Amino acid sequence: MNCETCQLKELELEAREIRDVLRCILHTIFFHRTLSLVRPKDVDCEFFEITYCGLPELEKEVDEKIDQFIGWAEKHPNRRSQVCLSFFDEKNKHPGWFGNKTERIYWEQWFINLHVISPKRYSKSNSSKGLTNIGGNALEEISSRRAALESSIHEVLFQIINFANEKRDHIPAIPDTFNHDIMIPSFSDSVFGWNTDVLRRVLNSGHPYSL
Amino acid sequence: MSGMSDSAGGRAGVELMVEQFQLKVLHAVLAVRTPRLLAAAAAPAASFRRRDRWFHLPLHDPPPPPEAAERLEALAPGERLVVDVHLAPAGGGAGAGGEVVERWTVACEPWPDAAGEGLAVNRAYKHCFTLLRSVYAVLRLLPAYRVFRLLCANQSYNYEMVHRVSFFVEPFSRAEEAAMRSHRFVPVETQLGRLVVSVQYLPNLAAFNLEITSLSPSMLIPDYVGSPAAEPMRFFPASLTEATGSAFPPSYQQQRPHSWAPPAFWPHAPAQQGKFSPTPVIYASPTPSPPNFPSGYLQSRLMRGESAPMSIPQLGESRSPVHRQNVLEPGRGFMLPPPSPRRVDTGATGAQESPSECSRLIGRMEGLRTVDPYASPSPRHKGKDSKDESGRFSALSSCDSPRQDDLDDVDYPFAVDDVDMPVSRPGSSDGKEVGDQAGSSSHKSQDAQVGSLVNLLRTARPLRDPSYSSQTSEVASTSSVMSRRTSDALEELQSFKEIRERLLSRSSAKHQAPPEKP
Repeated sequence: MNCETCQLKELELEAREIRDVLRCILHTIFFHRTLSLVRPKDVDCEFFEITYCGLPELEKEVDEKIDQFIGWAEKHPNRRSQVCLSFFDEKNKHPGWFGNKTERIYWEQWFINLHVISPKRYSKSNSSKGLTNIGGNALEEISSRRAALESSIHEVLFQIINFANEKRDHIPAIPDTFNHDIMIPSFSDSVFGWNTDVLRRVLNSGHPYSL
Repeated sequence: MSGMSDSAGGRAGVELMVEQFQLKVLHAVLAVRTPRLLAAAAAPAASFRRRDRWFHLPLHDPPPPPEAAERLEALAPGERLVVDVHLAPAGGGAGAGGEVVERWTVACEPWPDAAGEGLAVNRAYKHCFTLLRSVYAVLRLLPAYRVFRLLCANQSYNYEMVHRVSFFVEPFSRAEEAAMRSHRFVPVETQLGRLVVSVQYLPNLAAFNLEITSLSPSMLIPDYVGSPAAEPMRFFPASLTEATGSAFPPSYQQQRPHSWAPPAFWPHAPAQQGKFSPTPVIYASPTPSPPNFPSGYLQSRLMRGESAPMSIPQLGESRSPVHRQNVLEPGRGFMLPPPSPRRVDTGATGAQESPSECSRLIGRMEGLRTVDPYASPSPRHKGKDSKDESGRFSALSSCDSPRQDDLDDVDYPFAVDDVDMPVSRPGSSDGKEVGDQAGSSSHKSQDAQVGSLVNLLRTARPLRDPSYSSQTSEVASTSSVMSRRTSDALEELQSFKEIRERLLSRSSAKHQAPPEKP
């Protein structure tokens, strides 16, 4: 079985927008790949005029992962990072010396590329314009940056929709529950956040794909 | 996809699947392009039938009438189902077409040869799941969805959203085509042909100057809460003035009377029995109700046609000074008179001994005016990120909790595993940013400021009373602030003026005494 990967367009965002953006993207991917019976809810983003289809049964798990990522982003400001959503099948390996092992066969991975910036970066450029103009210019910059980000999010959502429909043949039979994994950078990680735990999973999966 | 086999389907199964898919797309489009009041949306839906589980995506909004299914059954190969969404001037009546803002097209394009014979029904059915979900998601991403939400929240707008379902339409003119964007979904290959869904839409609806009209008929509102325009000094509870992310107003609107006009787009004339008329039929919107929700922030975004909100502080984002003040000091009215200072024999020394207290008072007043320059300009800003904050699920959702199956429904031959996911309904978190309220400004009139100074002078340590405690006087003055009236303040101001006159006269008398020249 092929493992299809999708690299989503990088989004530049502030820390307070992480939750909105990740919820929107993750739920949209889940909605397209959860082929069992679903009852989505319309969820409005807080900072953007975007409504996405949320799956209530996954809300808690998604929010927990987002919290972890936010914690990581706070400790690693102004860094590029990835959140990886993987779908896999679990198969039992032949029993070994230490008991039965399950093998993960990844059939799809989505890489959400984020660049979390600090709000102070763009406000410094206005310092020369005088104290009286900082407030208005900052608000204008916030507004235009957010508009650009919203447009980028739209692009990413359509990217998900197109990819989800173009790559359909590799999806296994619809199970009762689908196996998935959300990987975020670890606190001791490098720029792209792949830690030993991830590498161990890759090695255990037996699938010859590269990170 | 257990339970789904080629032997059960075959060509008949494929035809049924294609027909159901088209019906499902039609249902999905109408669900979010037919504005209706929230109360109507919350009305008990029809029983959840097995047919609703087609493609594992049940839709509980009012489905298309049975005539639609009958007509789709008779759809010729290659014939398209077209749903046009119009924005028409309100009250235009039937025939007022308006302008097409969206056109959804569903068709099964037949194979030129027998290319699709070997295609498995199971595979096509599974692919339809993804395609339908994409249609469902895109319906919420397009600009018309925002208008739909606006009109659901308040139907007193000068435009109404209507739709027209037909099987043959005139193509757009070149100018119209140029103004529209199009999105063609990846088709699904079936034995019969390629199942194609596409949408053409206007990317910018700013040209439609949506605004609430005053032409709505008068209506007795028993629970009227007033209007900020009529009573600007009135304190409004946060639930009415907060700009929520959703376009839906607070729940009080659900209790307002409304009328639900029956859908008129499916003709029931006996002469047309068994045959669907392609003539355009306008769906009338329900009786409009008086405006009761400040639409400024919603409208401004729509008029701009842009997705991101402007930096203009909106009603919910930055409240009026009246509201802010009342939030800070709920026990006070709009303009609290300054405290009435006690009579005290102040002199120059007394005035000199109170500058620290005066500066503290001024510093307190300045602190109340602090505004966070980095506050989000979005009227939909709900608050800081917190672990307890959960996603807000709007009141209007196309897929609700599961209903009891109608086992007598025999139109659903595909036995698909029934996986009832636990449906969690997270409570809507209303995370207002407390920081915004704490950082709001307060306003004091000049009289109040003078009164404060007078009070300060009054409570300053007297010259002949070294045991006077400034701390207790400050506490006493703070408590006395709460119960003073303007007349008292004016009285004290007068006394202060007299004291001032006395001081000036004394100092001028000293200066006027001619120095003795040697």
